Parts: sequence; structure tokens; C-alpha cells
Amino acid sequence: MSVAAALDDAVVVGAEIVAGHDGAAELLVRLRHGNGALGSVTLDPETGFDLLRAGGADSLTALVGRPWLQIIKDL
Amino acid sequence: MFDILIKGGTVVDGTGAPGFAGDVAVKDGRIAAVGPVVTGEARRTVDARGRIVAPGFIDPHTHFDVQLLWDGAARPALEHGITSIVPGNCSLSLAPLKAKDRKVLVGMFQQIEEMPPAAFTEAFDWTWEDFAGYRDAIEPGLSINVAPLVGHSVIRLWVMGADAQQRAARPDEITAMQNLLRQCLDAGAVGLSTSFVDVDENARPVPSRFAQWAELDALCAVLGEYGRMLQIVPEFYATDITLARIDQLAELSLKHGIPTTFSPLFDSAATPENAPRALERVEQQFARGARVWPQMQTRPIDISFSLLRPSLFFARLPTWMRVLRLPAVERIAALKDAATADRLVADAGPDGGMALMGELIVRGGGEAPAHLAGRTLAEIAAERGQDPARALIEVSLEHGLDVGFLAASRGHDATDRIGPMLASPFVHIGASDGGAHLASFATYGDTGYLFSEFVRAAGAFSLEGAVKKITSDTARIWGLKDRGELKPGYAADVVVFDADTIGRGPERPAFDMPGEGMRYVRDAIGVETVVVNGEMAWERGAYTESKSGVICPLN
Repeated sequence: MSVAAALDDAVVVGAEIVAGHDGAAELLVRLRHGNGALGSVTLDPETGFDLLRAGGADSLTALVGRPWLQIIKDL
Repeated sequence: MFDILIKGGTVVDGTGAPGFAGDVAVKDGRIAAVGPVVTGEARRTVDARGRIVAPGFIDPHTHFDVQLLWDGAARPALEHGITSIVPGNCSLSLAPLKAKDRKVLVGMFQQIEEMPPAAFTEAFDWTWEDFAGYRDAIEPGLSINVAPLVGHSVIRLWVMGADAQQRAARPDEITAMQNLLRQCLDAGAVGLSTSFVDVDENARPVPSRFAQWAELDALCAVLGEYGRMLQIVPEFYATDITLARIDQLAELSLKHGIPTTFSPLFDSAATPENAPRALERVEQQFARGARVWPQMQTRPIDISFSLLRPSLFFARLPTWMRVLRLPAVERIAALKDAATADRLVADAGPDGGMALMGELIVRGGGEAPAHLAGRTLAEIAAERGQDPARALIEVSLEHGLDVGFLAASRGHDATDRIGPMLASPFVHIGASDGGAHLASFATYGDTGYLFSEFVRAAGAFSLEGAVKKITSDTARIWGLKDRGELKPGYAADVVVFDADTIGRGPERPAFDMPGEGMRYVRDAIGVETVVVNGEMAWERGAYTESKSGVICPLN
């Protein structure tokens, strides 16, 4: 299975703001993969804003339910 | 005759043994005697009744490389009781560095340290290229001891030039890097630092991130010739990758017989499984015989922001997000618009933002008026007769948006979880980042916080256990020769402090960087005397003229 295929089923199941190493607010995105596994990725502020924009979201809750691959394709 | 006799204190010798009432005598830079009663004349006597007498603390993760060129005390580290520091972390050191590459490296340092440009152009003369030359540049002015790492990124830069930030190294280049690393270790480097995370001022990966496994393996082979440390910054934001890095470090440790350390390791309520999983893997690797030391800081992580730039702090509030992502001129116009401001306040919650913003603290620095610094937004809002959200907007507008706000303890802040982790024999207390992030937050006072929060408040450590963690444990992990214990013949690095009060002061702005640059600092509390190599370096709340610091001899 390719990486893209593995990610194809990943869905955002949560997003929250966490404190980053350098004192900036960062974006933690929780994912549920197609096999049911849960994972997370933490994004720095710039990437976090880019992700919100790519996801067409103006709030964290608007990311929930969105396919991960679809969002990052638009980054 | 002793040089200094510290009498009547409780001696906590750094080994973890119970403290005892006694004296410590110092002569010729060494501990001369330790015992219940030490007799003999001394040039100086320090009355330590009611105080703890301990080995000087050791900070294994700092970025004081630049500051040491004009401030040999690494202020305010020394006044917190720290007598030895490790700079050069995260793949970046100031040597070896060819003159033609200075500008490139300055950009990387500014990204990490947030040091004002004047620090690199006005505060010192670049007199060196090789590691020995940097040592010669700092050592005469030291009043704190230094065990410098050499940065992988600068070794790459020396050998590969601009290609260091573009490609993998060829075999001949790897050989050249090995030879250069040997020169640095011969000149006193305590080990090699590398990073899988850091970027330069243009958000480009630092050179070490272009290294392939063969290169790191070859450099670790050189570390193995000397038994020296490898420090790395792993992808700490991703647990699974961090676990993989732990496994890689273990392989390098076992293959080359070297100690390794990674930093930072954080605990987080958002991802509570992260730190325990990493520690479980570390324990598994120690059981195999590897040495992989995770560095964990004591202090919580704060979030800082101003309305000058968009911050994800507002990501829960769509209206705020939309306004704050506008270009600056439009952002200010929107914030000044009464209807928009009303919507923002409403969006902050039915309590006017009290729950979300009331505990925000106005930071000093920037354009913030001094009388507001350190106060909560709730206090300021009450004084102004406003909701906190409106006070945030208006205070910001009144000062060109250049007012910093701090949301305290938003990460790595669960004392009941972190205390046992810090106390684990597999965890190395460190990762202070002293000398870095100057304009973002204070990286000083972690040792005081260890005592105030984890010894006194939480009881996660005995006093003796906490002292051991930041003295003899650190000296042993890093191979610092004859340091970290109050033991006859050891280097006379001694701190006298009040166990009931030792702590860290509030964060405050200080304008003591070259070019009147600002940084955030914390003053020491409860530290009364600091002796470095047998000389008074800090006493009665002031620095002395002593320059007794050295580049640490190694085992």
C-alpha cells in the first residue's frame, strides 16, 4: 500500500491548541486511520494556519470529519 | 590556611546521601575538607547556618555560545546556582566556523536564540575559526564553567560549504568531518550535537538535517574514540518518530560505546501517552545496555502572543481568527470598528472572555506600559470597567498592538505526572534552553523551580534527590571530571541556598543585550552564595569580579 493510499482513509477526529516548545500556540490534529488506529500530528503556527486555510476552516471544529489527505493536498 | 570555609550549614553532597550538619573547606580551587566539623583558619568564612551547602548545579542544555563572548557568567544562570553549563546544543556552535560562513551561521543562531543582530556585530570581535580558537576567545572571561558541544551543522558547513544545506555528504567529505570532529574533541568539546528539527531564519532545514545515517554513524565512531556525548533534537512533536530516534540512539550508543541524550521530552495533557511511551522505550534500551538519556525540563510551557501577528491561541474563535489574519493596517481598522469589536467581545463568550482571557498576563517589553506588566487581564479589565476581551482589544490598540500576553502553564504543567518522571533514574533533568528564545520567554530558574515545585510543594523528590539530579547525575552522564559532588579533591563548585525559599522570580523584561536588546529573565530566589572553582562568583545578591570559570576537564 502506498503512503497516499494509507492516508486516504485518515479522517480528522479532533483538533486543539497546544503549547509549543518555543512558547507559540500550535495546532494538534488528531487522526483516525482507515484501520482504526489513532494518531496525531502537531503543527507549528504557520503550518497550522495553512492547514486551516487549506481545509476551508475558520475554527478548529470545522476541521473535524474532514479527510486528511484532501486537506493536505490543498496545502 | 583554607581559602574559604563554609560553616554550619546542612551539607547535601550531591550523592543523594542524607544531608548532615557540617562544614565545607575550599583551597586552591578544590574541595579541601567536608565533615561535621572542619577546623582550621580560612581567608574567608561563610556562615551557612540554616542553609543548604551543595555542589554547584549543572545545566546540560543551553545556547549561551554567543553571550559567553561578553558575559562569562551567562547571566542570570550563575546566580541561580548553576556553576557549569553545556552550550552548543541542537547542532549549532560558534566553532569551527570559517570567516566566510559567519553570516550563514548568524542567521541560524538568530532563529534559535532570538539574539539581536547587534550581538554579532558590536559585542565581540570574531577572532577564531577553529574550535580551539573559540575556546581561547571565551575562557579568559569565564566565571562559569563551560562544557561545550560542537555542532554537527557547523562541521558540515566547514567541510561542505553551501552544499551542507542541500545534499548528503560524499565519503571523502564524511572523512573530513571525522577529522574535524577529532580536532574539536581534542580542543575540549564534550561531544557532538545534531538536530532533526531546527531551521534557519529562512525556514530552511539546518545542515545537520541533510545528513544520512552513514554520516552520523561515522561521526559517532569518532565520539566512540573519546567516549563523548551525542546530543540530538528529535521530532519531539511526533511520538512514533521520537521512539524511532530513541532506537537509533540506542544502536549508536551500543555500537560506539557512547552516551547519547535527546531533548526535549515534554508531557502534555493533549497527548498524555507521549512521554510515558518514550520513557518506556528508554528503559527498554537501557536494559540492553544502551545509554539514551531523555532530557526533561522542570518548568511548564507558557503560550505568548500579541495582536501584532496571528496566533493560533484564537483558533477556537472564528471571528477573532478572521480579523487577526487580516493585513496589519486592515486588522487595526477592524479592531477600531465598534461593530466588529462588539462581535469579537460577544464571540469571546457570554462572560466577555473572562474564562478564556481573564487569566492572561500582560508581559513587559514591546510597547506595553510598565504599570500593566505582570498584571492579569481580569484585573486590568475590572479597573477599566470593561470585559476582558474588550480590554485586550483596547489595550492592544492603545499601544500599536505591541502588547504581549501570556497564557501561563499551558503545557508540561501537570506536576503530579511530571514529578515522578523527573525523579525517574532514566530521566535527565535539563532542556532549559538557557540563552535561547530571548524575546519569547525566560529560560532561567528551572533549578529553583525544581525545588519550589517538585521538592517543597509536591514532595516528588527529597532535597537530596533533587540536588543529586542536577549535580552528580549530570556530571556522570556527561563525563565532567571531578564535579558534581562535595568531595575532597573535587572542583570547588559550591552553592549555598535557603531550602525554604529557593525558587525563581517572576518573568520580567531586561534590556541588557547588546544594542539595548530585550530578553525575558527570571531572578534567583534563595540562592545566597555561589563558588566557582574555589572563588566567590556570586554573593550577597551581586556578581563578583571573579573569572574562575574553566572549560570543564573531562573524564
